[in-house]
Amino acid sequence: MSAYRYDEQHTPPPARQVTDVAVERFEHIFEVDPKLMTVHVAQQLFPNWDTLRIAASRGDHLEWMHRHWATEVVSGQELLDELDAGDGGR
Amino acid sequence: MTITGTAPQLSDRVLAELTDALGGEYVLTSKTARYNRARVPAPFPVHRWRERVPDLVVMPGSAEEVAEVVRIANAHRIPIVPRDGGTGLTDGAVPERRGIVVDVKRMNDIKEIDLDNRTCTVGTGINMLKLNEVLGTHGLIYPDDPASYPCSLVGGRIGTSGWSLVGSRFGHTRDLVLSFELVLPTGKLIRVGDGGGRKVSKSSSGYQLKHLFMGHQGTLGIATEATLKLYPKPEAEFSPFWAFSDFDSAYRCVGELARAGVATFAGAVLFDEWKVDYLRRDDEAYIPQPADVRALVCAVAYGNDDEVRAGGRRLLRIARDAGARYLGDEISHGDWAARHDRYATPLHGRTLAGQVAPMSWHCEDAAVNYTNLPAVRREWHAIVARLRDKHPIFDDWGMFFYTSADTGVDYLTEIDVGIWEQELDDAAWAAWVDAKRDIAAVALNHGGSISACHGSCREGEVDLVPLELGGGYDVMLQVKKALDPNNIMNPGKYGLQRAYEEAP
Repeated sequence: MSAYRYDEQHTPPPARQVTDVAVERFEHIFEVDPKLMTVHVAQQLFPNWDTLRIAASRGDHLEWMHRHWATEVVSGQELLDELDAGDGGR
Repeated sequence: MTITGTAPQLSDRVLAELTDALGGEYVLTSKTARYNRARVPAPFPVHRWRERVPDLVVMPGSAEEVAEVVRIANAHRIPIVPRDGGTGLTDGAVPERRGIVVDVKRMNDIKEIDLDNRTCTVGTGINMLKLNEVLGTHGLIYPDDPASYPCSLVGGRIGTSGWSLVGSRFGHTRDLVLSFELVLPTGKLIRVGDGGGRKVSKSSSGYQLKHLFMGHQGTLGIATEATLKLYPKPEAEFSPFWAFSDFDSAYRCVGELARAGVATFAGAVLFDEWKVDYLRRDDEAYIPQPADVRALVCAVAYGNDDEVRAGGRRLLRIARDAGARYLGDEISHGDWAARHDRYATPLHGRTLAGQVAPMSWHCEDAAVNYTNLPAVRREWHAIVARLRDKHPIFDDWGMFFYTSADTGVDYLTEIDVGIWEQELDDAAWAAWVDAKRDIAAVALNHGGSISACHGSCREGEVDLVPLELGGGYDVMLQVKKALDPNNIMNPGKYGLQRAYEEAP
């Protein structure tokens, strides 16, 4: 059972080349292209769940920071839509 | 008799006096305690780490204990270095001549929250984030917001005269600290503010000593308690980020945003092409951006909901008319929230071959007027390009320009340079110091100040401080010698040892 979980967690999804220096394995989670990390630094190996946890924790932290500074975050898109509808801005 | 091993430069007598004053628990002599307080985040040649190690560290718990430590140091002519969060980037908290580091982190209590006058009084060892967690329960905020917000302390903000991300709206540390208590280099305890009142925001009585004792980088005393100005916690935050296909358009836009007179305007930032290229390496928001995104601008507003929305519409209209492309709510919200906590950002440099190298972040800053930003940008990048040609352990991470005030008069102008610390040898460090001096000279040549934010007492730029301040620097020397006759308080900083040198 544990051996199966280990394999599952240590087999990341295939990398999609996003730019010439970055790849994407999980949606919206970008990684430096591993071929750029072969001489001076070594990439750490993370189980899949840990990669997702780190990304989610970062999101939680940023949400916390918003709440810490203000009660509400105003949507720029909402205000832009109002401008485009011609009912504000001056 | 000297102590060997743990505190080699101080005598048993001094150690005994400090232990009597504080208790042995708070006199730290271990290698760990001393080496961990030997540096700040700014890169330096790590093979010379031992040159910066203090003889011992003390952690006083009160102003009276700080005063006693200073009196002991003064009596024995021992250098003393105040240290708060240790997040400053100009080596203010680095002991250059060994001695005693006074770590104030135990003095982190909230002594009073005055809801009617909107002030609080705290020990200077408190962190702003932790303070605001308490103030938030009262619907209040202390809006001093450095990039080191989660880890810097109120006392360090005073010692460095800190710059705040939202200073264009709420003012910077000098504006937000109403008064503070200070231990002078002789051990005397005084309070400075606007006049004598602890909670007075404007006085015309006497010299304005509050400003004298701000930004001295620990050379004139140790702040132990501060009374702070509080604001209502904002109902609303607005932080749009926009993309531009060229720097010049973005530059014009940021100027128009800053000059618009929007009351809730808390700041605007311009990022140049080098910065965008840097962000494309590692930043999830900018890796997927199309190639024609070459410069960025963001604006920030805080305040009451109706006011932020009204101001926000105006800012959006200005940006739209300037040709800006809104990057969307997700990037705007995420990027702004991350700016309160830049010290947590992982840093990847690149070698000339494009390989990732573990570099640390050095940010050279200046205060520059809006009209001089393009010229300073060109000259600074040229300086770093020449440096990287000779020493590829340096990497240009781009520049940004951040409003310091609500009128757009001047900008915190910063070039971020990755430095591969482990590869820094004496020759590369000397070249970097020369580059820093050149960077500072450009700022002065364009009518600016060497630093808006970080201070100017590191090697290189410090040489130009007398040039920048002119006759004011002579006054600095006289003040230093008058207040610190034995030159014990953070000696070696700002070239102030000149105050004690015999005239030829």
